[in-house]
Amino acid sequence: MEKENAVMDTEPAGQGAAAPVTETLVASGTAAAIRKKKPINRAKLQDNLWGWAFVALLVIGTTLFVYVAFILTLILSFTNYEGQALFKYFGSKQFGSFMNDALFWYKYMFRAESGSGWANAGDMVNFWGTLGNSVFYLIGIPIGMILSVGIAVCMSRDIKFTNTFRVIYYIPTVASVVSISLVWNRLFDIDGAINSILGSNVNWLGGEATIRKITILILTTWKGLGGSVILFVAGMNGVNASYHEAAEIDGANAWHIFWRITLPQLYPTIFYVLVTSVINGMQIYVEPELIYGSFSDPGVGVAVTPFVGYIMNVVSDQYYAYGCALSVMLAIIIFIFTLVEFGLDARRDKA
Amino acid sequence: MTNVENEAIVPAAKKVNPVYRALCKFGSFFGFGSKLYGSNKRRKKIFFDVITYVILVVGALTMVYPFWWMLVASVNGSTVDTLQTVFWPKSLIEGGIFENYARVIEKFDAFEGANYWRIVLNTVIYSVVPVVVGVIVSAAAAFAFAKIDFKGKNIAFFYCMFGIMIPFPALIIVQYCLYSAFNWTTNGLAMIIPGCFGSVMTAFFIRQYLYSLPTSIMEAAKIDGAGYWRIFWLFIIPLGMPAIMAQGILSFMGAWNNYLAPEMFIRTEEWYHMSIALSNLEGRISSDPDYNMAQIIAASVLALIPVLVLFGIFQKTIIGSIMLTGSKE
Repeated sequence: MEKENAVMDTEPAGQGAAAPVTETLVASGTAAAIRKKKPINRAKLQDNLWGWAFVALLVIGTTLFVYVAFILTLILSFTNYEGQALFKYFGSKQFGSFMNDALFWYKYMFRAESGSGWANAGDMVNFWGTLGNSVFYLIGIPIGMILSVGIAVCMSRDIKFTNTFRVIYYIPTVASVVSISLVWNRLFDIDGAINSILGSNVNWLGGEATIRKITILILTTWKGLGGSVILFVAGMNGVNASYHEAAEIDGANAWHIFWRITLPQLYPTIFYVLVTSVINGMQIYVEPELIYGSFSDPGVGVAVTPFVGYIMNVVSDQYYAYGCALSVMLAIIIFIFTLVEFGLDARRDKA
Repeated sequence: MTNVENEAIVPAAKKVNPVYRALCKFGSFFGFGSKLYGSNKRRKKIFFDVITYVILVVGALTMVYPFWWMLVASVNGSTVDTLQTVFWPKSLIEGGIFENYARVIEKFDAFEGANYWRIVLNTVIYSVVPVVVGVIVSAAAAFAFAKIDFKGKNIAFFYCMFGIMIPFPALIIVQYCLYSAFNWTTNGLAMIIPGCFGSVMTAFFIRQYLYSLPTSIMEAAKIDGAGYWRIFWLFIIPLGMPAIMAQGILSFMGAWNNYLAPEMFIRTEEWYHMSIALSNLEGRISSDPDYNMAQIIAASVLALIPVLVLFGIFQKTIIGSIMLTGSKE
């Protein structure tokens, strides 16, 4: 279909420059095509025009706010940009690399030695520390998935009030993260409600770094549970009921049915949830920021701040170029994570 | 399945370990079959139903508890009482349940050139204008991607889809620099204009929905002489309403709860987003003589109400739309 149209589009130009093979092939159809040519071309033109008109704004927006922005980020990461007016900066004499080394900031983030001043101090500790925190917060994903598959199994049973439960589990997901964080700060206080309910005496917010990070993990898992529960319930409804019946007739028990039938059929949903939550999880920023404060606050720093929090701190210290370099690293890291996931998926498909 | 209830299959005369026998008997009470007793489907189902309800109810309580806590903590009379609230308020502030709410609304005056209603208005503007315009733009793109056969469609589609691979935090620095070069950061335009160009994810989900609509209606309209513009407004918008509505509400909630973008893009307090105002509020008012932590909690409740009300009204559409994505994937 498309080939035919392509041929018709080139025909009116009348150059006859098309490869001889195609010409002979189409020759028989040409006579008919010429007669029909006009109306078809007009409809085709309409399609093309309106198609592009409808997608124009979206494409322009994506180009401007995503691609151009990313290319600028990439360019600025090789420079000494410090937050001057952007367009003036590109034309000015200041435009250039930091200390005559285009890769300065990329080397800088892996440098270990410490000196005096920002430019001399090594940054490896901060880079790996905050990146490690971001990865630590990913632990919530498998925990959340196991919990939500369990809850989804419960919900897809033949019980009452399923809809009510679904709505209740989804409430935290729609709630404002700022409100929730403000509340979390009080709930997990050492004299707060959680300690009095559990009868424990854990210093959730001020104790060891690991415990403080676990507090964040509890928050993110709690907040994200509802979304994946709904996706899993939908996935389970899609599982073919006849497989269940067949397995039951063959004498399989519920446990086997879950592992051998439900779970494999749920795999696409699980994969989707995994990919999206790893991408979103690596961008975690708001919760630690609101509960513990920013990177430069005392006692926060490498202990709990995630990677994005570190980028924001670098920017607020006016090291825009370095912030850009870290942003590029973030994009690359997330891209690699996604690639690895898809690679594992492809290997599973083969097996 | 034999439907023997609590009755031994194996004659009692045969010797079995009494502990094992007791265990089997215990199991059979809940309907589990064993070598000694048959299983009972009805009892088994009741047993699992009870477990299911217990799990779901405990989970649901965990989900709502923080919200309940917010409500009861917001009426307390002092900071210490607020912190120690567990299930019920420790004390009630003089002046009634809504006293803390009334006071905290006044305290938003601490922001320069703004008060509570101004900030609410800002937030409404940030989450209505870009969302309404953006969803229509996305729906238009979705219509073209789903129903119009135009040259370069696949290229345009993958061009857009590849853009979502780049994470937003990686773009925010340059976006901020761009917007301040355009002078958008001091008047809230940075929160409005970019959103009006639509969102690729929204377009993608609406496109999935539009695929399921029959093309024949469109063909018929075309034969009757309707152009694509009229087809879009007369057929696609009304027919695609469930998906458009759900995506619109989800984007509204996203914009209302947004934190990272307003933190970066709004540099004047007059134009503050509710999230930013709320997160800065405590630092501003904690030295006031009548400060009480319950006021902060009251402000959080106020910020939550609009999304929760919207979610309550549209829960069916929203959850239905999310389930649709789940079953499509």
